[in-house]
Amino acid sequence: MSVLARSIGNAFRNKVRTGAVVAVLAVAIGLALSMLVANQAVAAKVAELNASVGTVLTVNPAGGQGFEGGGEPLTAEQAATAATVPNVTSVVGTKALRLRNATETAAQAAAQSAAGTQAGGTQGTGPGGGQGGPGGQNTTTLTTSLTAAVDAGTLGGRNQAAEGTTGSTGATQPVRSLPITATGIGAEVDSTGKALSITEGSGLGDYSAESTNALLGTTLAEKNGLKVGSTFTINDKTYTVAGLFDAGTTFGNNALYVTLPSAQTLAALPGELSTMIVTVDTLENVDSTKTAVQAALGTDKADVTQGQNLETAVSSLDSVKNISFIAFVAALGTAGLIILLIMVMLVRERRREIGVLKAIGAPNRTIGLQFVLEALVLVALGSVVGAAVASFASGGIASALISSNTSTTTAATTGRGMPGGAAGFPGGGAGFPGGGAGFPGGQNGPFGGASQLLTTVTASASPGVIAAGIAAVFGVAIIGALVPALLTARIRPIEVLRGE
Amino acid sequence: MIQVKNLVRTFKSGDRTIKPVNDVSFELEQGTLASIVGKSGSGKSTLLSLLGALDKPTSGDVVVNGVSLASMPDGKLTEYRRRDIGFVFQQFNLIPNLSAVDNVMLPMEFAGVRKSVRLARAKELLEQVQLDPEKHVRRINRLSGGEQQRVAIARALANEPKLILADEPTGNLDEQTGEHIIELLSSLSRDHNTTILVVTHDRQLANKTDRRFRLQQGRLTEEPARARVAAAATA
Ligand SMILES: Nc1ncnc2c1ncn2[C@@H]1O[C@H](COP(=O)(O)OP(=O)(O)OP(=O)(O)O)[C@@H](O)[C@H]1O
Ligand SMILES: [Mg+2]
Repeated sequence: MSVLARSIGNAFRNKVRTGAVVAVLAVAIGLALSMLVANQAVAAKVAELNASVGTVLTVNPAGGQGFEGGGEPLTAEQAATAATVPNVTSVVGTKALRLRNATETAAQAAAQSAAGTQAGGTQGTGPGGGQGGPGGQNTTTLTTSLTAAVDAGTLGGRNQAAEGTTGSTGATQPVRSLPITATGIGAEVDSTGKALSITEGSGLGDYSAESTNALLGTTLAEKNGLKVGSTFTINDKTYTVAGLFDAGTTFGNNALYVTLPSAQTLAALPGELSTMIVTVDTLENVDSTKTAVQAALGTDKADVTQGQNLETAVSSLDSVKNISFIAFVAALGTAGLIILLIMVMLVRERRREIGVLKAIGAPNRTIGLQFVLEALVLVALGSVVGAAVASFASGGIASALISSNTSTTTAATTGRGMPGGAAGFPGGGAGFPGGGAGFPGGQNGPFGGASQLLTTVTASASPGVIAAGIAAVFGVAIIGALVPALLTARIRPIEVLRGE
Repeated sequence: MIQVKNLVRTFKSGDRTIKPVNDVSFELEQGTLASIVGKSGSGKSTLLSLLGALDKPTSGDVVVNGVSLASMPDGKLTEYRRRDIGFVFQQFNLIPNLSAVDNVMLPMEFAGVRKSVRLARAKELLEQVQLDPEKHVRRINRLSGGEQQRVAIARALANEPKLILADEPTGNLDEQTGEHIIELLSSLSRDHNTTILVVTHDRQLANKTDRRFRLQQGRLTEEPARARVAAAATA
């Protein structure tokens, strides 16, 4: 019989009490682990936000955004100016084109002329993802062999009809497919500055040179039966699919990217940019750099906006991170305190037995070790049950934390249903606001859909995080058990002669 | 060789001080079998606890083979209890949730004896105290008082101590088993040169010892060896 075996035996001496202690420990440990998982998930999210769009400024022509508004287009010279502003690490120009299916366009031409032209004044007050009427300086519409992957649906049909009114319930609209956004990019980033996630094939290579290669969104490629290496046309010019990307949203995947010069050539507007994506070196410098870029370009020439009003989102998530960390530490401390109190109680209860062990020559450290091990047996049982509790509860706890903490800021910062920065043209979601791009910046929105955050949370309930949490629990338990274990050293062997 | 020098142990109870051990001095040669008799409350258990280094005297000293217990640090006293002393407690003091064998193996575990060796020795000792083999693995709290007493004796013998201090080791045993235990103890003193000091109310056991002491209100007196022969003759 070893010290360990004796400790395990002692842990189960009073089964009812052991059960109760394990249950209480499991609650504390489960809570601690859940909080750690939530903390890690939010920390990862914050890091991801900071890394991707956190330090990105978007420059639009003054008075225009996307395909809306007016004003003078941005130029390559302005991009060069922006690049000289301190703390700016890169400036990527984009040129957005609107593509329409060639055969459909021809068929609708006659009907369009009767119903009035498309240049209407639709106001962007409709449901998110589906609003934002045509108009503005960059409405370069080209024809393509591709068919959009998103059905027009009710919102799309209404917007495409461009009757000039919102929410028209008039005559049945003819069914149309949506336009496809082709964006010329100066680097391998999407229109919000986030690195493209290429799932198949390769990138476009040199983004500053004209080429006939293109990157297609996964759903767009699927809809048109295209694979890497397949070809399609834009304005009768043949393009080859170099790679496929996944933007994470249906809306984002109904798009394609070509190199910036290619897009400028297609639009017959060389040197002209729709937007510039300015990356700042650190999050701290974003505010000052935004002011500096704005000053360098002139308020009459360009509108500089910061990513997606991310600061509020990040600080809000940061507070969730802090709350979950404090709760983790508190739950951990509680587990340690439970162990401390239980072991103090056990030491008092087994005073006489400890005296016996000493009387027959047990060294103090053997007795101390026996009690620490007994505590660890209880903690191990508590951890097993607690980890099970945490794996079920952490997702719920994390989302509860996030929703309760961010519900107030959600309305203020994201404005559900307001025109999306990257999506300022008719979207396709059938029926309800947020057809994939209701949040500014699509999937990069600070609260890019509770569901998206939740997948991150569950994904982060990894064995590694749980193991780290359990290691912390054991560390605290050892500290908690050490105090009563040291108390055993003070018990005298003469205790054996005293009554119970 | 154990030398007891002017040993005093006092307890405060309320505003009265009691002296269960009051200026006790004696010497025992190695291998002596000695007994202490005395009325209940006369201080027998208190004296044994001082000899076994379970308790510290108020004054006086115990010198074992030339080494004074009073001068030993706690760590050394633990080692002394583990290596040199076998204590049979009046109330057995076995670990209730362990088996008989595990209880006997415990002092050997603390002394760092290999597991296979201590298991074999524990079984051998339990056989020597005549505990039924099927009860070797039984938990202590499922054994009778007499069975527990014999396990306690076996445990005291585990590390082959030089001095065995036994507090009424036959108190719960029937005559026959008691006699066997007496025989076991005297053979240890005879053949293994173990010094044995037993506290007893058992005349038979006392009569078989080399030296007999009587404790009265904390004071120790030795009964002459002649009286023992005479008592044996009249019995
Ligand atoms: N810790 C203590 N505090 C106060 N008094 C004590 C303490 N331990 C023992 N005594 C007292 O010392 C006296 C001697 O006790 P001890 O246990 O040595 O008697 P004993 O001779 O072994 O008696 P018995 O034959 O009944 O076992 C008793 O009066 C007892 O009440
Ligand atoms: Mg006694």
